[in-house]
Amino acid sequence: MLVDRSRLSEEDILAALTRVLRDLLLDDSIVLTMTTRRDEVRDWDSLVYISFIVGVESEFGVKFGVAEVESFENVGAIVRRTKALLASS
Amino acid sequence: MLFNSYPFIFLFIPLTLAGFFLLGRGSREWALRWLIFASLCFYAWWRPINVLIIAPSIVVNFFLARTLQRLGREKRQRQARWVLIAGIAFNVLFLGYFKYANFLTGVTNDVFGTSFVLERIILPLGLSFITFQKIAFLVDVHSGRIEEFTLQDYCLFVLFFPQLIAGPIVHYREMMPQFHRASARFDSENIAVGLTLFMFGLFKKVVIADWIAPSVSALFAHASSGARMSLLISWMAALGFTFQIYFDFSGYTDMALGLGRFFGIKFPPNFNSPLRATNIIDFWLRWHMTLTRFLTAYIYNPLSLWATRRRAAKGLRPFGGRNTTLGGFIQVLMLPTLLTMFVSGFWHGAGYLFILWGLLHGVYITINHAWRMLAARRFSDRRQYERFMKPIGFVMTFLSVVAGMVLFRAPTIATATNILRGLVGLNGIALPDSLLGHVGRFSGSFARLNTLELGPDVFKTLVMGILASGFVALMLPNTLQILSVFEPALGVKPASDRVQSPVRRLAAVMARIAWQPSVAWAIVISIVAAIGMYHLGGNSEFLYWQF
Repeated sequence: MLVDRSRLSEEDILAALTRVLRDLLLDDSIVLTMTTRRDEVRDWDSLVYISFIVGVESEFGVKFGVAEVESFENVGAIVRRTKALLASS
Repeated sequence: MLFNSYPFIFLFIPLTLAGFFLLGRGSREWALRWLIFASLCFYAWWRPINVLIIAPSIVVNFFLARTLQRLGREKRQRQARWVLIAGIAFNVLFLGYFKYANFLTGVTNDVFGTSFVLERIILPLGLSFITFQKIAFLVDVHSGRIEEFTLQDYCLFVLFFPQLIAGPIVHYREMMPQFHRASARFDSENIAVGLTLFMFGLFKKVVIADWIAPSVSALFAHASSGARMSLLISWMAALGFTFQIYFDFSGYTDMALGLGRFFGIKFPPNFNSPLRATNIIDFWLRWHMTLTRFLTAYIYNPLSLWATRRRAAKGLRPFGGRNTTLGGFIQVLMLPTLLTMFVSGFWHGAGYLFILWGLLHGVYITINHAWRMLAARRFSDRRQYERFMKPIGFVMTFLSVVAGMVLFRAPTIATATNILRGLVGLNGIALPDSLLGHVGRFSGSFARLNTLELGPDVFKTLVMGILASGFVALMLPNTLQILSVFEPALGVKPASDRVQSPVRRLAAVMARIAWQPSVAWAIVISIVAAIGMYHLGGNSEFLYWQF
């Protein structure tokens, strides 16, 4: 990989997250922001959420803790955690 | 001590509140200690020995949590993991001994033809709920979500009497900050909102649920006696029990929310008009919401996450969207869902029928997900699809839930089968004389239902009970909606589309019903309270207290 992933900005990570979710829900109109919550996106149920988390994990080569997955209160929390994991890897 | 009993309402609550506010003038800490003491008295009232049974488990869990905390600080992840596993195993085995030893002995005897006899073990009240809460606590400490806690905090979290016996199943991180912030002073708004919640709950329990309960029991006893359950009475048994448990648990939850509020403590919402759900996934997001939250977080998610990661490691793309294969569906959704709902069923009770009930709901949820993936996305016009599908979904969900309730209530598999066959008409149709007279020349096609044989007034009570409770459950705004301005449960806010009722004009009128501290509402609540008090006195336990 040419890009140094530990230097990705929150905007870059957010854009990647949006792409992962659009792919999963087959809906290109989805726009995620740092404050988006899961219940605000149609069809983003527990099943799609798990696939989304693993999609993000494979996208960035990181791994979230099992207990962590449940406690992300919004998209911003996932972005920040991903950034932190990338920085420490 | 039952919430719906004289000693609780007229002795325990006034004394506990008086002590709490008096001590609160001096220091919050003493007020909180008083609350722990009162909760222990509340628990001991039933069988004092129960305190001696759960106390050791509380102490063991506290030290396990402390160990986890220390290992976490020292970054000894491997050891921490083993302590967590040991902790979960300890709690599961502790519950297992009291709740499942008898059942498992029975299963062993059934399977191997043995005849082991185990003395009947009495389940300490609320142990199933307490166990889940303690497991959640250990997991949260292990993951670093809980950093600081004292023995006093921990005891308060586990023992706080409004949620001790039957939930809501709460998280430490949503409760403890509230206790630490509590003013421990008399607050008229908290008392007014708390009383309103408590009285609504009392009314639901003693006036509605307890009114239907004896007739439901009579019909299930009738079914158990071997009498063939014809169409009409099968439906009355199934619908009657559905509404009985609905108002029993909804009433309990309102009372718990109200009791917490007296002390300035808010619980998460636990019950939100589940029978209005338009699909079964939605149903579980409205019925026993904190149990669904617990099972999703601690069983379903880890299982599904594990399966999804395993697939990713094999180079398979995450399941969903463009990548929906049958294999993926089975691995990441169907098996985790069935296993989670199996645990849910078995948790509710040690019996084959509870397991079947859980699995049945697992199948419902799986079908719901499959439908969403296969069918729903083929409809291009979402709004038209929803307008068309919502009423159908509502009816299907309602019927599925009602059929499931037969398994939940029936004492034996034979009784359940008898009623389920009756529901679909396999046991014939029998009508009471009062109806037979109205079907004219068709009267020859129906058998005669002897309503007297069921017991005095059973038939009449159930007809009226089902109609009245159906109206309340489906049409009236619920407690959370009526009190939404005052945040009756954590995070509940007034919504713009408050009533999702099939009848729009009535819904618009209903949506305007909102509680406020006014003379008019004081009169309404006083009447509700007076009717509730008038019906007190029977020794009628909450259905969810037995779990």
